[in-house]
Amino acid sequence: MHVLEIKGLHKSFGKNHVLQGLDMAVPSNSVFGFVGKNGAGKTTTMKIIVGLLKADRGTVTVCGEEVAYGHTKANRHIGFLPDVPEFYGYMRPREYLQLCGEIAGLPPRRIRERSEELLSLVGLSDVSRKISGFSRGMKQRLGIAQALLGEPRLLICDEPTSALDPVGRKQILEILASIKGKTTVLFSTHILSDVERICDRIAVLDGGRLVLSGTIGEIQKQYRSNSFSIRFASAEQAAEFVSLPELGQAGITVAQAGESLTITLEGENTHGQMLIDLLSAKQITPERFEVMEPTLESLFTEVVQ
Amino acid sequence: MNHFHVFFKKELRESVRTHRLLIILTIFFMFGVMNPLTAKLTPDLLAKFLPEGMIIELPVPSSLDSWAQFFKNVTQMGLIVVLLVFSGILANEITQGTLINLLTKGLSREAVITAKYAAMLALWSMGVLVSSLVTWGYTVYLFPDGKSHNLVFAVFCLWLFGAFLLAQLVFSTTLVKSSYGSLIITGAVVVFLNILQVFPGVQPWNPLVLATHNMELIGQNLEPSFFARPIGLAFLGCCLLVVLAVVVFRKKQI
Repeated sequence: MHVLEIKGLHKSFGKNHVLQGLDMAVPSNSVFGFVGKNGAGKTTTMKIIVGLLKADRGTVTVCGEEVAYGHTKANRHIGFLPDVPEFYGYMRPREYLQLCGEIAGLPPRRIRERSEELLSLVGLSDVSRKISGFSRGMKQRLGIAQALLGEPRLLICDEPTSALDPVGRKQILEILASIKGKTTVLFSTHILSDVERICDRIAVLDGGRLVLSGTIGEIQKQYRSNSFSIRFASAEQAAEFVSLPELGQAGITVAQAGESLTITLEGENTHGQMLIDLLSAKQITPERFEVMEPTLESLFTEVVQ
Repeated sequence: MNHFHVFFKKELRESVRTHRLLIILTIFFMFGVMNPLTAKLTPDLLAKFLPEGMIIELPVPSSLDSWAQFFKNVTQMGLIVVLLVFSGILANEITQGTLINLLTKGLSREAVITAKYAAMLALWSMGVLVSSLVTWGYTVYLFPDGKSHNLVFAVFCLWLFGAFLLAQLVFSTTLVKSSYGSLIITGAVVVFLNILQVFPGVQPWNPLVLATHNMELIGQNLEPSFFARPIGLAFLGCCLLVVLAVVVFRKKQI
């Protein structure tokens, strides 16, 4: 079941075609990382989903309801945290959440309960000063609280961590990870380590289209090169291993760096087992044998080239 | 209606906490006190500063002078202050992005416009009420001459003209991005209405007379019926401008 489905989305600002037929589906109960360079169209996509911008073409469906610009019906399923959430500086956090709750049409008792729950979730329960005195990180946390107030099925966060210091970033990521399972989270970022930390699915946006999407495991499998890293006890032992005739076959590339070898196998009949067999036949115990996983960063740079 | 109520409450709270209400009430209260005083003291002051030996016949001040001060101050300084205070009421929310959280929670855009206009009207009404009540009390005390008539009606005309300008301000804030832009448009409308006064055929309809001919009403030089058409037009104008503002704001990409 998909919480969010986007089909053939187009959007231009003047001559700048930001989105060119974006297709995307976010399954429920996932933490979905929406990755792309600055200016790739992440914010535009999110603003179209919440009905702040009008799409030129294409459809957006949230929980089975089509989003129509200017109508806010589908918004009751969504909690939205803009990249820099802005509040009324003269209000206190509880007053602000009350305003949000009244607009969302929650009953007064529910608003009070939810406010307390969320303020303690985001660590603001003891803060009663006016929002004008808040730091960036505190505003971001209050932003999450207001977004989650109506118990949305989909939480959309636009670069929630990009402007924060390491502590603030960690707090936000922990909050997002803690609501996993209750709410589907779609969050955009260009910080790949954040994605690796909490997401289970990612989609990479480039040139107005998705160039990569799937679970992190799937993607890494798909892009896994047949590369292995072996570390030997000494550089001599490594050199000895390199000189073996079995490694001289076509389709095998070997690079040596001191006592470590990086071996890439491209032939059809060659896979890692062959290396293990070879080590075993030569009675060599390597210090480390590793299948090299592509990092998200290397994947990202590869697909957005 | 519920969204209107919630957002109107928010606007009133904002007016109190950002001292909008305080500014308006203080200034209009000061006008109220100054109007009768200026009328009373001007002749004495003039007499003091005249060169020795020079004598001019100064008319004895009356309640009419006091009310003349009222209409001069409120239509000029008063309206300018109100327009300045409210000029950023929508533009600031859009440029700062404070509306985004609320709009994405389903806040209707009609409610934003109508609640803001209602809050402006509320503050403007309070200002006019305070100023006119203080002026009235002080005038009755200083000049118990009974020369002023149609007071409530004259003040109402001025109030309606202010309401018309505020509707104009709301509409223009949906058209332009900056608060200055909306002020310039509203200023241009006033200039335009002034130019229209030159054409005799337009004059009986022009809402501007609601703010310029109040003293004729008080001195009973004009019949209240003279204002019927401008009142009708100003009222229609308010409704139309607010509806237009809603229509434009609904289409606005934020």
